[in-house]
Amino acid sequence: MDTLTDYMYTMESCNHCGQCKWILGPKTRGWKYAEICPIHMRYNYDAYSGQGLINIAQELLEGELKYEDGLIEHIYTCTTCGACDINCKSIRDMEVLDTILALRVKCVEDGQAPMPEQKEFARFVESNHNIYGRPHDQRFNWLPKDLSLSEEAKTAYFVGCTTSYLHPDIACNTTRILNAGGMDFKILDAEEYCCGAPLWRTGQRESAKKLVEHNLDALRKQGIKTVITSCAECYGTFRGFYPRIAELDFGVLHITEVIQKRLKQGKLKLGKNLNMKATYHDPCLLGRLSELYIPWNGEIKAFGYHDPPKQWRRGNNGVYEAPREVLKAIPGIKLVEMTRNEENAFCCGGGGGVPVAFADFALWTASERLDEAKSTGAEAIVSCCPFCESNIEKAIRANKDTVRYYDLTELVLKAL
Amino acid sequence: MSLPKHIYKMLESVVGPEYISDREYILAAHRRPMPQTKKKPTSPEAIILPGSTEEVQAIVKICNTSNIKYIATVTSLMPMAFASGPGTVILHMKRMNKILEINEEDRYAIIEPGVRHGQLKTELMKRGLSYPVASVGPGASVLANFACTSGDHHIQHGTSRTNRYLLGLEWVLPTGEVLKVGSLGSDAGWFCPDGPGPSLRGLVKGWGGQWGSLGIFTKIAIGLDAWKGPEVMPTEGHTPSYKIRLPQDCHKLFIFKFPTLDKVRDAMIEIGKAEIGHAVLKFFNATAALLATESANDFWELWNSGLFQKELARPLYVYLSTWSPKETAYEENVLKDIIKETGGEEVDESIRRIYEDNMDFFIMVGFLQRTLRLGGGWSPSKLSGDSISHMFEVGKAIPEFMGEFIEKGLILNAPDNWQVIPMEYGHLAHTELLFIYDRGLPNWGEIPLAFMQKSAETDIKHGYHASMPPNSKSLMEQLGPLYSNYHVWATKIKEAFDPNMVSNPLP
Amino acid sequence: MHLSETIASFRDGLAKVVKPKNIVDDSSVLEGYSKDCSFVAKGSPLLLAYPENKEEVQGIVRLANQSRMPLVPVSSGPPRFHGDTVPSQGGVIVDFSKMKRIVKIDPLNRYAMVEPGVTYGELIPELRKQGLRLNAPLLPRASKSVVTSRLEREPVFIPKYQYDYVDPLLTLEVVYGTGDDFRTGSASGPGPLERLKADKVNPWGPGAIDFFRFVSGAQGTMGLVTWAITKTEVLPSLQKLYFIPVEDVERFTAPMNHLLRRRVVDECLALNHINLAAILAEDWSKDYQELKANLPHWTIMVCVAGYQRRPEERVSVQEKYLMEICKDLRLKPETTLPGAEGKENTVLELLSNPWSKGPYWKLRYKGSTHDIFFLTPLSQASRFVGLMKEVVLKYRYPGDNVGCYIQPMVQGRGCHCEFNLPCDESDAKEMAEVKKLFMDASETLMKNGAFFSRPYGPWANMVYRRYAEGVTALKKLKGIFDPNNILNPGKLCF
Repeated sequence: MDTLTDYMYTMESCNHCGQCKWILGPKTRGWKYAEICPIHMRYNYDAYSGQGLINIAQELLEGELKYEDGLIEHIYTCTTCGACDINCKSIRDMEVLDTILALRVKCVEDGQAPMPEQKEFARFVESNHNIYGRPHDQRFNWLPKDLSLSEEAKTAYFVGCTTSYLHPDIACNTTRILNAGGMDFKILDAEEYCCGAPLWRTGQRESAKKLVEHNLDALRKQGIKTVITSCAECYGTFRGFYPRIAELDFGVLHITEVIQKRLKQGKLKLGKNLNMKATYHDPCLLGRLSELYIPWNGEIKAFGYHDPPKQWRRGNNGVYEAPREVLKAIPGIKLVEMTRNEENAFCCGGGGGVPVAFADFALWTASERLDEAKSTGAEAIVSCCPFCESNIEKAIRANKDTVRYYDLTELVLKAL
Repeated sequence: MSLPKHIYKMLESVVGPEYISDREYILAAHRRPMPQTKKKPTSPEAIILPGSTEEVQAIVKICNTSNIKYIATVTSLMPMAFASGPGTVILHMKRMNKILEINEEDRYAIIEPGVRHGQLKTELMKRGLSYPVASVGPGASVLANFACTSGDHHIQHGTSRTNRYLLGLEWVLPTGEVLKVGSLGSDAGWFCPDGPGPSLRGLVKGWGGQWGSLGIFTKIAIGLDAWKGPEVMPTEGHTPSYKIRLPQDCHKLFIFKFPTLDKVRDAMIEIGKAEIGHAVLKFFNATAALLATESANDFWELWNSGLFQKELARPLYVYLSTWSPKETAYEENVLKDIIKETGGEEVDESIRRIYEDNMDFFIMVGFLQRTLRLGGGWSPSKLSGDSISHMFEVGKAIPEFMGEFIEKGLILNAPDNWQVIPMEYGHLAHTELLFIYDRGLPNWGEIPLAFMQKSAETDIKHGYHASMPPNSKSLMEQLGPLYSNYHVWATKIKEAFDPNMVSNPLP
Repeated sequence: MHLSETIASFRDGLAKVVKPKNIVDDSSVLEGYSKDCSFVAKGSPLLLAYPENKEEVQGIVRLANQSRMPLVPVSSGPPRFHGDTVPSQGGVIVDFSKMKRIVKIDPLNRYAMVEPGVTYGELIPELRKQGLRLNAPLLPRASKSVVTSRLEREPVFIPKYQYDYVDPLLTLEVVYGTGDDFRTGSASGPGPLERLKADKVNPWGPGAIDFFRFVSGAQGTMGLVTWAITKTEVLPSLQKLYFIPVEDVERFTAPMNHLLRRRVVDECLALNHINLAAILAEDWSKDYQELKANLPHWTIMVCVAGYQRRPEERVSVQEKYLMEICKDLRLKPETTLPGAEGKENTVLELLSNPWSKGPYWKLRYKGSTHDIFFLTPLSQASRFVGLMKEVVLKYRYPGDNVGCYIQPMVQGRGCHCEFNLPCDESDAKEMAEVKKLFMDASETLMKNGAFFSRPYGPWANMVYRRYAEGVTALKKLKGIFDPNNILNPGKLCF
């Protein structure tokens, strides 16, 4: 499974309803902020959409479309945010995002992709086990000296490349929160390699697979039963990609879920008033794309019957409540919602390898999100993903905005 | 055929290089066969994204002088929204997407083609206004639905078809001139589509629209009604299991079942005469099961249970939407009187609760495309309108031809999967029969046409006005003589207004 | 060929088409069709024919095509007001008054199928026998053709039943200027009329064109209608008429807007004191001036109704809304007619029936009238009332003679705005002044956004010289449906 031919049913089923381009009807709140697909919003052609990309996939597969100038750029402009996928799944039994990802795999296998900047990911990962090409031995430079770790713990904090190298404050915050909540945990140290997200989502599946195998082996060797991460991409990759390679014998939690539980148990107390009007941005891989992937190798029979029954990832069990509950528990935080929220959150532009290959478009997308955040009257955007942080902060700087971005862990730590 | 370079350049000079493309991967999004048909649309020569009426005019004029055909589209939801032959460019109207005005006092909105149902409906709700949202889903274009295609929806009983709500129009004729229709043409605003004198609005849309074959509408005004619901969709939960509940004191739903179709009909007529109810319909049952479930497998579980076949073979949905509890009580009393007289009883509570939990069925039908969930092989037929009495007459004759297709296993066994929706408090009604076929069958591509032919033959045999003649030239010539030779006049009109035959000439 | 030869030749041909008794060349009869109450110049017809069925109509049309003989359709009895039935280029009057079958009344599906000669005076009582009523114009003449009234998009007084400006017209059968017949909407087929099982109440189509709209507002220039189907409504079993007096013109559209928005009332219209006095006066010389003096400047009339089921409950609900809405607007609806107490039942009686006593109410004051009417959004009606007042001041015409009638249409999204100028045809000086006023007012109103959707007489030139692209399109249609321009030539832009 998981090759492009496996998704022919999806490709043949599209009827151009437009749901992949617009937020779901029940979530719509007016003319503005009604579009959901960043590429369609920016470039307008139907080819720039979930529908367009699966049409292209079908034509490429059937030989009607040939590789030509601009095609790969077109395919790789998509941030793989999955909004098209989830929206389509609200009404159909189709796998739009998996088709797009399988299309990218095909392009890589055909030697046509990915974008040169994204190829660097694989090269860096091969040599340094992180997508930035930074020294592997600096991955845990952020570790505070007074951090309490437990070698016997069956819970591991998986940090991720972007947190480790670009936003180490998130890692610091997370570990301090875990300590404050009395949680026993360990880190994988040198055994932690990139989770594989950027490779997976740019079609470099074989390279990603190697990372998966390594990380699973590392976790197994250490007897880890629970992985905690503070990075949405890592979270969504563990749950959405890893099961395609091997069975997971551990659970995955996001730090917000841990904090939520700890607050309910009274093991964490948030007492300091932060006095802030904030809006929460749902990262794609923590929200709509975070459900556990259950492999399915069945047959699609007459009238769309899936045999055996398939467990669909339709976005209804994403991590939406936990971050919000945590935010609401912080004294002085007034939480306001954007129109495009939860399963219909508008992408920040930071995923799918887009920032490195199409920096302008990534910035445009983040600026759109920033605009929406400001429309709520919020003075701060809060999220739980270092990729989102990178991209949104770029937009804040570029627009010289006064709105601030906070990772949720920073606010929790401030309120402890 | 690819677009000659000099013509491409001319078109590019109108919209700019960003808004025209003939790249194959751009065209690929407009030439896949729709899942309900094997027919593959012709590839367009280019996709053009005009940003204004002036740009549309310029493009159309170039097409006229260069013998390039064109079709305008927004969502491209239907098979007719693609190039009907070689040498066609597609004008994708997405960029013209403004709500230009919402006049709350005089109750109309002026919109461009790219405005979608989801956007307009929710924008109007904030202002206590509404309009008939056709059953096409929230991502579809309002203008296309009102002016170019059809326009039936679930709340026609207390309102009407979109035909009635189409007001002033700004129209780029097939030759590129702009014609303003109705009061707009007299600089008197957008409120009236008819006149001065004979109504040119008659050219725009009859039962169905012109599907882009008589030019392009760049702005329309639509009439608005008062909205009795909340300002914001009261959505709870997450996709796909949204709950949208409305306050029961002013929004009350009933679903009844009757022993015979005649009784359903009688109840529907009486409800119309009493002028109660916001929505009244005899809805499809297989489609209802599709809308009520979240996967094909779930549908099969529900369908195989037989509940919907038993409870919804002869149903009547009645949604009371009022301004006050007193009015609700009055309407409910009248309704109960009628149901008692006609021998109806309420369906299984679990069914009513499905709708009560998701009243979007009567608002925007955001989940409408679930009807395509069974692999996408589906087709509507009948699709016409006359009195309630006549529509039930048509419905009762369905088993005459449908049975054969079911017995041969060609379509889903759903002989009651047809609907009647009254309009204007029962002055007339619309009927539609939906049949679903599996694309896995060897000759599935032949099923839709064969079915629709049998359906039409039955109607013709009985003298039933149940199938509206289509826009396709060959079918028009075949069926036109049966319909007052309308094809002769329609052809003359086409020739007069599109002498170069470039505005989406249908095959 | 000399005119007399032309007439004789045509007459000979006509005799093969219609019964000899249905051909009239008596000049005293023809004189009656040569002018009406409008400013349209006198035009003498050559002959008069009374067809009795569609085949005869087709025969007349085919004959007319051979000699390019103009045909002017007439269906209503006199007095006529708009000039559309006055021949502009001679020709033959085709008088449909003998096609007067009420073909069918269907109380279940609420429609009536009638030939063009059926009048309001004939149809309304027949409908009442079956528990039905018409959504009719205000006080139509008893001799007015129902079909013509619907075709000409006359405003109707129950706006909540009107879903667009051609409603309540449904389907029709028409003979085009080519002699071909055609049936619209669900009457179109499949097959001949006698085989159709449909009730023929779907007006749209067939196909992608609303053919019925081409003959609406057309003054007989696009086709000759041989029958039409119109909606009918349930006759209320309980009606309560309310009067809302308003002095200030700025305030009189808001209550109607709010009531119609909520679909609270059935009949809904406003009359100024001049028109209402003209309608209500019994002993003219005694009553008219008194009523004029005592009636409020504006009276809005609204009716709440109960139908067959639980009528009292319905009326109670509607009354509650009426009171709430008016209270918010600081207005008070009353069941007595301010300034004409005791005439309430008369008003209801008048509203429920055609005008059958002579002379027609608009002619009572001075024997003639010239009416200026147009469409506008309801919110703009006050502005046009003010504008008309300003124009009248420029002329030696008494402002307190100007009648006004505001009829909300299409559920309150638009309205018919009418100003009536009663005048004495025998007073040349007055007529000259009225004509100048009429033309000036029409131009002024038009320039300020009044939509003259029914461009009768001199309005045609005013409207169409401002609508060149529309004229081009209309002429294309005319060229299709009446290529030889035999149907009422000289009207509209043809």
